[in-house]
Amino acid sequence: MTDSSSTHPWQDPDQKPYIRIENVTKKFGDFTAIDNLSLDIYKSEFFSLLGPSGCGKTTLLRMLAGFENVTDGRILVDGEDMSDIPPHLRPINMMFQSYALFPHMTVEKNIAFGLKQDKLPDDVINQRVEEMLELVELTKFAKRKPNQLSGGQSQRVALARSLAKSPKLLLLDEPLGALDKRLREQTQFELMDIQEKLEVTFVIVTHDQEEAMTVSSRIGVMESGNLIQVATPTEIYEAPVNKDVADFIGDVNLLKGIYKGKDKEGTQLLSEDSNSIVYATQEVEAELEDTIWFAIRPEKLEISKRKPSNDINVLQGVIEDAEF
Amino acid sequence: MKKYGNFNIFALIVGFSFLYIPIILLILFSFNESRLVTVWGGFSTKWYGELMNNQGIKDAAWVTFKVAFVSSTVATFLGTIAGLVMSRFGKFGGRTLFSGMIYAPMVMPEVILGLSILLTFITLSIDRGVLTVTLAHITFSMCYVSVIIQSRMSSYDESINEAALDLGCTPLRTFLLITFPIILPAIISGWLLSFTMSLDDLVIASFTSGPGSTTLPMKIYSMVRLGVTPEINAVSTILVGLVALGVVTASIIGKRQKQQTI
Repeated sequence: MTDSSSTHPWQDPDQKPYIRIENVTKKFGDFTAIDNLSLDIYKSEFFSLLGPSGCGKTTLLRMLAGFENVTDGRILVDGEDMSDIPPHLRPINMMFQSYALFPHMTVEKNIAFGLKQDKLPDDVINQRVEEMLELVELTKFAKRKPNQLSGGQSQRVALARSLAKSPKLLLLDEPLGALDKRLREQTQFELMDIQEKLEVTFVIVTHDQEEAMTVSSRIGVMESGNLIQVATPTEIYEAPVNKDVADFIGDVNLLKGIYKGKDKEGTQLLSEDSNSIVYATQEVEAELEDTIWFAIRPEKLEISKRKPSNDINVLQGVIEDAEF
Repeated sequence: MKKYGNFNIFALIVGFSFLYIPIILLILFSFNESRLVTVWGGFSTKWYGELMNNQGIKDAAWVTFKVAFVSSTVATFLGTIAGLVMSRFGKFGGRTLFSGMIYAPMVMPEVILGLSILLTFITLSIDRGVLTVTLAHITFSMCYVSVIIQSRMSSYDESINEAALDLGCTPLRTFLLITFPIILPAIISGWLLSFTMSLDDLVIASFTSGPGSTTLPMKIYSMVRLGVTPEINAVSTILVGLVALGVVTASIIGKRQKQQTI
């Protein structure tokens, strides 16, 4: 087994996926929320479902948790078909967007709730609650009620509660949506830490592309019920499959061009804006003279007063405006 | 602080006087020494003592209390279920019909409601008595409970229940451990409201009661027809006190609940 198979299990054909989503379709009346979607997620992955609101990412997550039925297709977790298993019997825990803390229970009782349902002895429960409170650094707040907590604290209680039962799979629905930017960035790293420490498989739903890029092992970009691209953050950034993905992820200069074939320098495009040939390292499946889009990441552009020594991808221009 | 204009203060005083002076007078005169209702003869609590010797009033009070207790308890149970169904089961077949039927007693004139319930009992040849009054009270107070529960559930985050299920709690236990304690204040205020409504209902009770099931409002009404006595003032004062207690408690519980959700 090579090293890459443990960090990139999706590249290893011998690896069995932990979650297998097979041709899943979900309809609400006439509206198709998920359209024949298939996806494999592997053990200990930090998988992000990324997309604009209404793309079906939350629906997919809720189907994994068992709150929505699958209209067609099936979902397997660890080889077991989940179709007929109600949410309270699934080995999956979820962290809700609204945190969904029980308002009438203290922080302690909230965290202990899942363990109590398993009828564990009291001392085991207390010890586990203690551990969880330490993990999220809330030991001092054990006796507080949820309405006495700040947003960040509530978020950590919700996380502790969903991790208390040591689930193999944790689903997170926009877990950091309600936090301000600074707290969000800090919590992202905490989440990654916890995920590595506990080796839990995380599936996270987010519309924040920066967040997805930071935390994920792989990202599934969704749009109107379909997965458009599933790849590592780097792959998605460097080689987005289409204009929408390119536009959605990071800052980008999107340009229209005409495909002129390829030679030893790379793929040749005739840019409509500059009316000159641009060479791309990436290959594209297109017919000659097809109109295609290409994207240039701003950090890949170099600007100099003197003409560079090489001849390709050089354009002359005038600086019209500058912004920090 | 905002300054109120003279007109506003005047309007407020007139409005509140109109509403509360009769009640205040009633309470004052219940402590009247004199037998004449409109002549003040000094402070005394003797009419409250008199009440204790009036078997008719005591019987009526006992009937009223029994009816109010049983009807509000059953109405709260049924109304809670109806409210939960309305707010949580989404669009089911016949939802509009169901909600219309729940709210009908609220908008229907009491006389019509009383009459139709009476006709039902006659058709089913059920003898009128404590049971029929209780059933009638359940019918009209249940809808108020369901309204209270429904409005509570509109601010209820459904993902709280999902979180409980997700943590391995069965649906029934989720209701008992999560939903029920959270909406309990609403259930209690629903109970108090139906209790007070049953306590002061005259019209429906008149239609549906039989011999031996005269309620307190009915008793007072029939006594008034023979002339107002200080005894009536005394019993009315007690009734006002009970109703006020119920309403105030219900609204305090409601406020507390709001603070908890914020």
